[in-house]
Amino acid sequence: MRLPQNSLKPALIGLCALLLNACSTGQIVARSSLSIMDSGVAAMNREPDLELAKAAIPANLKLVESLTREIPANRELRIHAAQGFYGYTFGFVEDENPARASALYRRGLEHALAALETAGLGDPMTMPRDVLHQKLADLGRDAVPDLFWAASNWAKWIDMNRTDPARIADMGKVEALMQRVLELDETFYFGGPHIFFGVWYGSRPPMLGGNFALSETHFGKARNITQGKLLIADVLYAQYLAVQQGNRKAFHDKLTAVVNTSADSYPEMALANAIAQHKAKILLKNEGELF
Amino acid sequence: MIKKWGFFLLLLCAFTARADEPYVLKFATLAPAGSTWMNVIAEWAGKVEKESQGRLKFKFYPGGVSGDEPDMIRKIRFGQIHGAAMTGHGIGSLYSPARVLEIPFLFRNYEEVDYVRAQMMPEIRAGFRKNDYELLGWMEVGFVRFFSRTPIHSMDDLKKHRIWQWQGDPLSAAFFSASNIAPVPLPITEVFTSLSTGLIDTVIAPPLGAIALQWFTKTPYMTEVPMADGIGGLVVSGKFFNHLPKDLQELLLRTGNEASEKLLVETRKDNEKSLGVLKQNGITFTLAWKDIKEADVISIRDRAAADLAKSGYIPAEVYDRAHKALAEYREKKAKQR
Repeated sequence: MRLPQNSLKPALIGLCALLLNACSTGQIVARSSLSIMDSGVAAMNREPDLELAKAAIPANLKLVESLTREIPANRELRIHAAQGFYGYTFGFVEDENPARASALYRRGLEHALAALETAGLGDPMTMPRDVLHQKLADLGRDAVPDLFWAASNWAKWIDMNRTDPARIADMGKVEALMQRVLELDETFYFGGPHIFFGVWYGSRPPMLGGNFALSETHFGKARNITQGKLLIADVLYAQYLAVQQGNRKAFHDKLTAVVNTSADSYPEMALANAIAQHKAKILLKNEGELF
Repeated sequence: MIKKWGFFLLLLCAFTARADEPYVLKFATLAPAGSTWMNVIAEWAGKVEKESQGRLKFKFYPGGVSGDEPDMIRKIRFGQIHGAAMTGHGIGSLYSPARVLEIPFLFRNYEEVDYVRAQMMPEIRAGFRKNDYELLGWMEVGFVRFFSRTPIHSMDDLKKHRIWQWQGDPLSAAFFSASNIAPVPLPITEVFTSLSTGLIDTVIAPPLGAIALQWFTKTPYMTEVPMADGIGGLVVSGKFFNHLPKDLQELLLRTGNEASEKLLVETRKDNEKSLGVLKQNGITFTLAWKDIKEADVISIRDRAAADLAKSGYIPAEVYDRAHKALAEYREKKAKQR
């Protein structure tokens, strides 16, 4: 049977509209979710209960990942995903299951690299080092979150794979990314770039590229940025610099002070501080092993 | 009287408690936790603890937390730690003739290294023991090569480069003197910066070391010809070792040897993988064995050995024995062909 042409036209138009709608519904939902994403992150940062956060974050991560499938080139979503994977893995996975942590940091890195690609950097993993340095110099302040979460996840992915020369070879690229963040905004994420370099220089002996004076300076600057309210800076100082220097007193005093800090001392970052206190307790328990 | 017995009982209890206390071997290394070396060493420690039923335990100081190798040796002498996994740099201060295995241009491949080392091992072990150290196992840093800013195509090219010399290292000093090269002596901590500023343009390192220290990012060329095979050892102080009951001494030696075999295999694999990673990162390999005049390197090798014999660092007879073992191996190999 042949349909009359005039009856086919509206049907086709209707179908196209329906298909177009179907294509864009996910994207519309994804875009509209962006506005509540920021408040979601803020609410999670204020969560003081570790168990609740540990149980809640994975579902949120999957939600963000599903939204990135709808709008893969959205930098904001990619950065949320990269930050989420980093925070969840650092807080709840790394100490218990390094192999799983490696895979999760890598996922965080992939999201951050997708954001950087959209920002115009290209792929730093395959790029020659000199090209990377040139391209980094062209990036401005708006690329700071992309760079920061890429370098943070990448450094941790390397850290979880210390037996793999291919991973270790990328350390210089990671350093270059975070160095650019330091130049563009040293206060980003509560002095995050300074905390990064505090660990970077404090976690190795001078013979292997460590520099205790530089580490001390970076940890000091990170502390100043939050007036010492973000406890993770002190925990990492103890875990890396104090251990590397064999300074048991600094290790013990810093961690004891972290443990004794009131849980509501920094409500905006209650979760990060609860994680820091949890890590501090574990480190204090292992003090005898470390010195 | 009761008081007296009470005192004896207390003493007895004190001794019993001490006898139950496990021996703790405090062991340091520059290798970071989670690296191949530390993983194998930690596995060794687990085996020792299990087989000794907890009577002998390790306490680790990885990643250089006990300082560099001279610091570790000082701490071993003061009894603050008891043992360490050390490279040739540290071994030179414990029993320098062991570094005969690091003589420049002595070996062409690992088969030669393994053969000569096996021949020399009894006297090396005895040498450590005589100096109040026990060698529990052998390991390797691997073949060290020249990493340079501009290509090296011949031994003469080497002379045109500003090459880093590990400050205070008698073995590399002998190599440079034998090669008529004026090196730039620097502590290892200044190498990366000096490559950036141009104070030096060439370094000597095993492939994995060049990656771990990021030196390869400043040196786009690497020689295929290695300068020497970097050695390493698992060492414990004689004071600690001799204090152990016989069965625990045997356990440490046996398992140390097993760990050592694994360390050799894994380090060689890591260096092989590292060569691939260097290629992927755009490093160009230059100066293969075919580009070298045999007589040139033999002359450098023998002059360096003579220099080290003169200072007493590696006695001439030790070098002669190593050399003889190598000749023996090469002859056997030639006959098989």
